Amino acid sequence: MLSNRNRMRLRNFGRHFNGRRGMGLCKQGQCLNLDKLPEGADAYITCNRNIKTIERGLYMGMKISMFRNDENEPNVIVAVGDARYVLDRRIAMDIKVRTG
Amino acid sequence: MRDRPIIALAGNPNVGKTSLFNALTGLRQTVGNWPGVTVEHKSGLCTFNHKNYEIIDLPGIYSLSGGSLDELVARNYILNDKPDLIINIADASNLERNLYLTVQLMELGAPMLLCLSMTDIAQRNGINVDTEHLSAHLGFPVIPLVMNKHMDLDMLMDIVAISVVNPPVPATIHYDEVVESHLDKIWQIILKAGLTQYASAPTDNSADGNADLAYNALIQSRWQAIKLIEGDPVLSLAMPTEPKEQINKEIQAIAKHRGQEPAAVIADDRYGFIRGLAKDTVKRKNPHNWTFSDAVDKLVLSGVVGLPIFFGVMYLVFLIAVKASAPFISIISSSLSWLFVEQFGLVLSALSAPAWLNFILSEALGGGIATIGSFIPPIFFIYISLSILEDSGYMARAAFIADKFMRKIGLPGKAFIPLIVGFGCTVPAIMATRTLESPRDRVFASILTPFISCGAKLPVYTFLVMLFFPRRADLVIFGLYMFGIVMAMLTGFMLKKTIFKSEQGHFVMELPPYHVPTFNGIMLHTWHRLKDFILRAGKTILLVIVVINVFQIVQLPLGENGKSTPVLELGGKLLTPLLSPMGIKQDNWPATVALISGLFAKEAIVGTMQSLYESPNGEAGQESNVHKNLKTSFGSQASALAFLVFVLLYSPCAAALTMLFKEHGSKWMLFAFGYLTALAWMLATLTYQILAFNASSPSWIAIILGFFILIYYNLHNIGSKHAI
Repeated sequence: MLSNRNRMRLRNFGRHFNGRRGMGLCKQGQCLNLDKLPEGADAYITCNRNIKTIERGLYMGMKISMFRNDENEPNVIVAVGDARYVLDRRIAMDIKVRTG
Repeated sequence: MRDRPIIALAGNPNVGKTSLFNALTGLRQTVGNWPGVTVEHKSGLCTFNHKNYEIIDLPGIYSLSGGSLDELVARNYILNDKPDLIINIADASNLERNLYLTVQLMELGAPMLLCLSMTDIAQRNGINVDTEHLSAHLGFPVIPLVMNKHMDLDMLMDIVAISVVNPPVPATIHYDEVVESHLDKIWQIILKAGLTQYASAPTDNSADGNADLAYNALIQSRWQAIKLIEGDPVLSLAMPTEPKEQINKEIQAIAKHRGQEPAAVIADDRYGFIRGLAKDTVKRKNPHNWTFSDAVDKLVLSGVVGLPIFFGVMYLVFLIAVKASAPFISIISSSLSWLFVEQFGLVLSALSAPAWLNFILSEALGGGIATIGSFIPPIFFIYISLSILEDSGYMARAAFIADKFMRKIGLPGKAFIPLIVGFGCTVPAIMATRTLESPRDRVFASILTPFISCGAKLPVYTFLVMLFFPRRADLVIFGLYMFGIVMAMLTGFMLKKTIFKSEQGHFVMELPPYHVPTFNGIMLHTWHRLKDFILRAGKTILLVIVVINVFQIVQLPLGENGKSTPVLELGGKLLTPLLSPMGIKQDNWPATVALISGLFAKEAIVGTMQSLYESPNGEAGQESNVHKNLKTSFGSQASALAFLVFVLLYSPCAAALTMLFKEHGSKWMLFAFGYLTALAWMLATLTYQILAFNASSPSWIAIILGFFILIYYNLHNIGSKHAI
């Protein structure tokens, strides 16, 4: 069992890595909707309010890569870690990402 | 602790729960490389060191939020049945996302252990998990396993046995200080109001019983408080008004403090904990790279060749089913006829059995067995093709490709998976709609599943198509399958405009990596389905054949000039005029009886036909005799094709109707029965009248168009008042 002290350390350790890159509001022009991210580009999630996708690992600060994005199609395919997801474009429009 | 401890297997979809379940119980549940294989929990027994354990395989879930029915099944089982131990299976190659469910199970205070699956793939990807370190942080054992190879089940069961006796206490997840203080207040409100819903009585009579109860109540009320912050609809609705207002104030304070939705705050902090754990215990040699599956997907999902590949694969499935099965059908059918009809008849004659008993046992029952035998090859080949598609991972890609069409009919692409399952059987297809989140999508998809030709319709197609269209049987059968899909789309389009007016649910689906299907896996998968088919179809077909023969023997003096006529012939002749516009002549009443028997099970249609089209003077079991009578009775290819269109579209079988009733109630079951039968009649009539055009055809075509307008008008009226 962990001592309370170590538990607190672990918690702070986790927070340290949680979403540091994406924390805070984007300045104008810095963020774009996920559905606008071009194919092959990488980005960090800065805002996601869709709990279904958060549960699947698309949380703030997570690196995301656009695998397929054809404007004529109703979905996009993204890579998050080792998982690949088909996301409804309506959901992708609500997820904000920051490139670079 | 129970005498027979209950061990529940929980985890994300497609991580290997069913593989572990099969290994532990020795059962052979279906395993697949696509999400949604298990939609209800299954149980089996495992014996280890002379002690029995009940193993429960829960549906794959991403969280305990209960967004879809399969999530609710899993969550309700854990909360209400309180298993003695939960084995949480997590994909080691994608640990962070899998730990999200682990954290939620920990919050629930459930005794658990973590099993890391796909460790071989993780190692191949350069991921190394320090299981001991992870176990120290989580507060319960962590066991690495490779699910598809030789599992060390003894080691696993040793730990399970220890954990059942001394349940490990999971570590507590702490949130942001401000969130914690509000969480604490909500927790107090719940405890004061006595609203702890899921705390149970202790399962033994030990002195520590009260302490156990108090501890369970405490842990689960904290979990309840967290779920209320997340806005859980089930728990929020059950909350009385007064405490609910107090709780809402606390939740609003959390949202104000973090500037986020309360559910996102909780998810964010959980991921904070998880990322900390991952940084501490997971070492990754290579950064995330594009994989082999990604390279294949570039081609398979591309806009240019993706669609042709999709149609090519589907056509190949039917080509294999028709071409590869053809030589086996005649061999199996003639062998079984020789054995069960001819030889068995001779034995009964030698034993001086009465003629009626000889007829029922050898002709009816023996002939029925031979009929079932002739179904096996096409169904075996179609099941084997579907198993390859599922196990390889292509099924999920097919859903992505199909999403473009599915949108047009108002359904998300994920609804394509139940429709594909419908090629096997409509009953599991209706069950598979549980993976859809929105109730509207579930009802909508369930109504469309009967349009997909199930495995039981294939023998009817092969039997009649090979007789009436011998040259291009494969194309006609493929055409029938495609016609079903087109009609599903047109119906979907009409229902979207009338009674399902709201927008379809959002499409979120994981694409599993491609796997090379294993021979054992495919055979097991195929055998599982084929066995179900043989047992179910066997029972129904034999029953229907016996009933039909009894009705054929019983005669009533109600024929022409008071002549004694079989009851079956009287009933068939009574209903046949309804089918005359689709080319079923008055003397072709056996076709009507065959359609009625198809309401019990579609497979029964062929059995009924073989039984009723056999000439009284013809030699028993002689194929050409039945074929000749069939050709004479139908008269033309047009009426045969109209009959096939009717079989394709009319009411689903009794089992599928029962499943519709169970899932969506009597209203939708009656709608499916009425709409599909009316549509089948209209389209079969239209087919016949166009192909065998004569003087009365224009009026029939006008009547059918009038019916279409009437149906649309009625649906529109219903939709304007009760649209979903």
